[in-house]
Amino acid sequence: MSESYEYLFKFLVIGSAGTGKSSLLNNFIGNKFKEDRCHTIGVEFGSKIVNIGGKSTKLQIWDTAGQERFRSVTRSYYRGAAGALLVYDITSRDSFNALSNWLRDARTLASPNIVILLVGNKKDMEESREVTFTEASQFAQENELMFLETSAKTGENVEEAFLKCSKTILAKIENGELDPERIGSGIQYGTGTSKRLNAPKKPARTPSDCACHM
Amino acid sequence: MLSEETVEKRNAPPGVNSRSLSIAHSAADLEVLREIENVYFLPPSEFDAGRFVLEHAPATSCDDIERMFTKLKRQQQVVSGKALHLISQQRDNCDREFKEIQTIRDQLSTTLETCQKAREQLRAASNHLTISTFVILANFRKRQIIRSVLKSLELLRSLRSVEKDVAELLTKKEYYEAIQLILKSKKAASSHKEYTCIADLATRLQDTLDMTEEKLDSVLSNICYKFDENVFRKLRKAYALLGKTQAAMEQLHMHYSSAVNESSIEAVKNYVGNAVDMKFQDMCQSVQPNKAPICLLNLCENLFLIMKSYFLLVDWHSKYDDEETVPISNNVFEIEKNVSREYIRQKLKAGLVRIWHDVQAKVSTFLRSSGLEEYPFEKFIQMLGILRKLTQVAEVFCGDKSDLLQDFIKTQSVLYIKNYHRGRMEELKLFLENEGWEQCPVKSTFTLLNLQEFKQFKKYLNLRSDTSFVKAQSDSASSVHSQDDSVYISKYFKQSTNHTPFEIFRNENITNDDIFGLEPEAVSDDSDDEPEELKRDFVDESDQPESTKGSPSKTKDSVIVANTTLSVLRHCGQYLQICRYLPQISLEVVMLMNQLFDYYFFSVHFFFTSDMDVASTTLYSSKLNSVLKRIKNYIDTSNSGEMDGKIPCPESPNHLNLTSEETLHGLSERIVAVESVIFLAKQYELLQPYLESIVASHQKMILEHFKDNTLAVIQDLRVPVYMCSASKAVEVGPALIAMSKVKWDVKDVAVEHSAYVDMIIRKIQVFALRLENVSSKVTLNSEVLSVIWGMVSKFIVHLLVEGFSNATKCSNGGRGLMQLDYRQLFLKLEKISGLKPVPFQEYVDKYVKAYYLPRKGLEEFLQERTEYSNKHLMALITCACENKKDRQALAAIIEAKDASI
Repeated sequence: MSESYEYLFKFLVIGSAGTGKSSLLNNFIGNKFKEDRCHTIGVEFGSKIVNIGGKSTKLQIWDTAGQERFRSVTRSYYRGAAGALLVYDITSRDSFNALSNWLRDARTLASPNIVILLVGNKKDMEESREVTFTEASQFAQENELMFLETSAKTGENVEEAFLKCSKTILAKIENGELDPERIGSGIQYGTGTSKRLNAPKKPARTPSDCACHM
Repeated sequence: MLSEETVEKRNAPPGVNSRSLSIAHSAADLEVLREIENVYFLPPSEFDAGRFVLEHAPATSCDDIERMFTKLKRQQQVVSGKALHLISQQRDNCDREFKEIQTIRDQLSTTLETCQKAREQLRAASNHLTISTFVILANFRKRQIIRSVLKSLELLRSLRSVEKDVAELLTKKEYYEAIQLILKSKKAASSHKEYTCIADLATRLQDTLDMTEEKLDSVLSNICYKFDENVFRKLRKAYALLGKTQAAMEQLHMHYSSAVNESSIEAVKNYVGNAVDMKFQDMCQSVQPNKAPICLLNLCENLFLIMKSYFLLVDWHSKYDDEETVPISNNVFEIEKNVSREYIRQKLKAGLVRIWHDVQAKVSTFLRSSGLEEYPFEKFIQMLGILRKLTQVAEVFCGDKSDLLQDFIKTQSVLYIKNYHRGRMEELKLFLENEGWEQCPVKSTFTLLNLQEFKQFKKYLNLRSDTSFVKAQSDSASSVHSQDDSVYISKYFKQSTNHTPFEIFRNENITNDDIFGLEPEAVSDDSDDEPEELKRDFVDESDQPESTKGSPSKTKDSVIVANTTLSVLRHCGQYLQICRYLPQISLEVVMLMNQLFDYYFFSVHFFFTSDMDVASTTLYSSKLNSVLKRIKNYIDTSNSGEMDGKIPCPESPNHLNLTSEETLHGLSERIVAVESVIFLAKQYELLQPYLESIVASHQKMILEHFKDNTLAVIQDLRVPVYMCSASKAVEVGPALIAMSKVKWDVKDVAVEHSAYVDMIIRKIQVFALRLENVSSKVTLNSEVLSVIWGMVSKFIVHLLVEGFSNATKCSNGGRGLMQLDYRQLFLKLEKISGLKPVPFQEYVDKYVKAYYLPRKGLEEFLQERTEYSNKHLMALITCACENKKDRQALAAIIEAKDASI
């Protein structure tokens, strides 16, 4: 299982319940689309090695539950994410309206430099559309997000979404905006690079000099 | 003239002619005539008249001569006259006679003419009659000859056209007739050796025969791919005619062998880029992994067709051989025939196994080089399903249990599951490293049965009180299956069907249950209306604001699970699902499942006891220690990278805040972590009856061992982990300093407890407040609370003993103060913690009261109490014994005890 990669990016997929976050992830990592998927419980995980600008990069993607009751569980995964897909459902105005909250969470809990891509999912259900492309683009522009409309069902733009986000992260690394060495950057050097950034280990515990014996 | 004379004479006797002569002359003349000597009447040929006269002439006188002359003359005249007279007399007669002669002559000539005519006509008749017959006969004969020539020619012609006819017969599949024709022709040819062209023809016939045999052979080889009863019957008849029945069977077996080879290559070829000159094994190796299942499917299907063909062949023989078997007779030929038949029967019987072995070898080769363990689960299952079907086919085919393949399936399955497990472990490591140890909002009734992954196990697990029933049921079910399977598989061996048992694998929508012929797991009765529940209802829907949580009513029956707990449980469900399809490796799967637990447990321990700052020996039960030791053996704690089969140790997460006093050093995380392990252990225990039902009976021990020695001791983990928080409730240094300020050699018993007690109580109150905060994040049940408070208590008693043992001088009053102090402390602690009584009190109690023991009692105390350190004991005897000798003796006991350890 010695897969080699140069970078490892920690990714989040966030957004309201039922917007198709798990479907996006599953589509991306090559699973079949399931029409009747149940809500994610807590977080789920998927990873994929992609090639970005000639660099093989491992995406470690945490797919979070959208339901409010899991908020506390999922928030604990935000820390140190390098990128995030912020997903809403183009057929649900509510999911679009909730974006600001999600965005605030992501910016505060994850790395402040987190690269976020706004994803309007369920593009295939044009007939029930409630959120126009234009207003979503505007929201993206105002909040300095990238934006794509996708369909996890047809697979349209799914890979593009992850790749676009990854490319931006990589570009930021290359122009120095992001420092992979910084703890909590959500970026690690992979096995393919000579430099392997190990999470700084806590100093080995020395047996306590506490006099208490138990 | 003479002749006339004679005729006259003869015809004219004197008496008859006298009438025409004158009577005058007649007398004289008669006289003269009478005188004529008779000699003159002799025919001239006998008598010479001149000579006679001369001889008789008188020689003496002329007169005599004259007389004689005259006489002669006269005689002559008379005779002449007489003759004339006679002639004239006879003339009419003569004429008449002549006329008559003429008439006769005419008649004669007519007759002659008639004769001639008759003759001519006769000749014509005879010509007409005889010659044509002969011609007919001759022609007939000719015709016959020509006919025979024609026949020969025809034969020759037919001999020449044998080739064509044979070819025609062959295309009509009339093999017997073809062979018959050739043999007949050969015979005919040999009986017509007289023709020069026959020699050539004979060789050509031989060639034709050879070619026909070749053709038969190729038809025979096609039998391998598709057994056609009619074709085979014809072939067999043809070979029997050739006298090669047995040889043909040998040949057929050879064909089967090569058919297995060829169709294997054929099946794999399409999935290999450049298959030219490649060995089968090399081809297998270059099959792309994503193509392997379909390739295996093709392989199995191709091989199945051959097996089916052979099966039908054997079947055909057993059906028709009996019919043909001739009763035992003394006929040598028949005996020989029977022997040959028996030979063939044996050969066929052995052939079944041989072909299966060939097939098995091919499939094994393919599998060995296909790197099965790297496949995604669905593909792997599909491949296993194909193999399983193949083993079922084999059982019907030759009754073989396919041990080779079964072993292979088993080892591959083990390899696969290990590989799969490695992936899951990596994922688990990642999950653990990223786990925020937040409590997942699940219902208090949540168990693993609520997870979709366990849906199909529900019925087994609900019946857990009656495992024997489950076992019996599953056993009977499986045996029914195998019987059904063989009937089911047999259908595919019928000639009439073009289907193969492998077809179902071509269906995109096939489920694993279909593949394995498992009955669709009956969704239990009550679940019809609860699939929703299965999906998400175990999630606590109350959606209460976080602040209201932690109300006392909720603390009791709440379930603490972390996200990773759920993911481990899900993995378990997946493992068990895999297990359903790989029952032969159940134990391995269960062991790996247990490893998931081990790892989770180990990680929790590793993460949350790393900041332990008190000595831990008494915090670990021996069982807990041995569990940790067992797990540590296969975890690479050095993280050297050289794993040598060990599992890498998770890296301590740096996103957890375990240092903040505010959160009691991450107590809520610790609680979620530990309680989730305990919950996990409970879920594993829930599974035990089912697990026991799927492993072999002699393997149950292993499960029981795990249950008793791992699952049952998990709650012991609370102690060390909660101690890490509890031991930070009171800062050790300042407390000891405060205690050292107390004067223990006071004379009187104090009324008021010492100041340090209040200081500790204050700290405990703060702890309690913070604990309340924690309980807003995590539901704390009474067990957790009592362990936490127990740990606080344990920490405090040790702190107290430590502090008391620092006193170098102690009076009775001092001892009393100690009691007063800790009683006060425990009274408060009891109030704060709600524990009644507060545990571990006797630790300090016994220590303080040992002071009052007499020397003997003290000796016993020193020997029996191992929970106190030497320092504590030394301090005790220093205070308790005033006698220096006693003190030395007791110190010696302590030292001896030390040495004996």
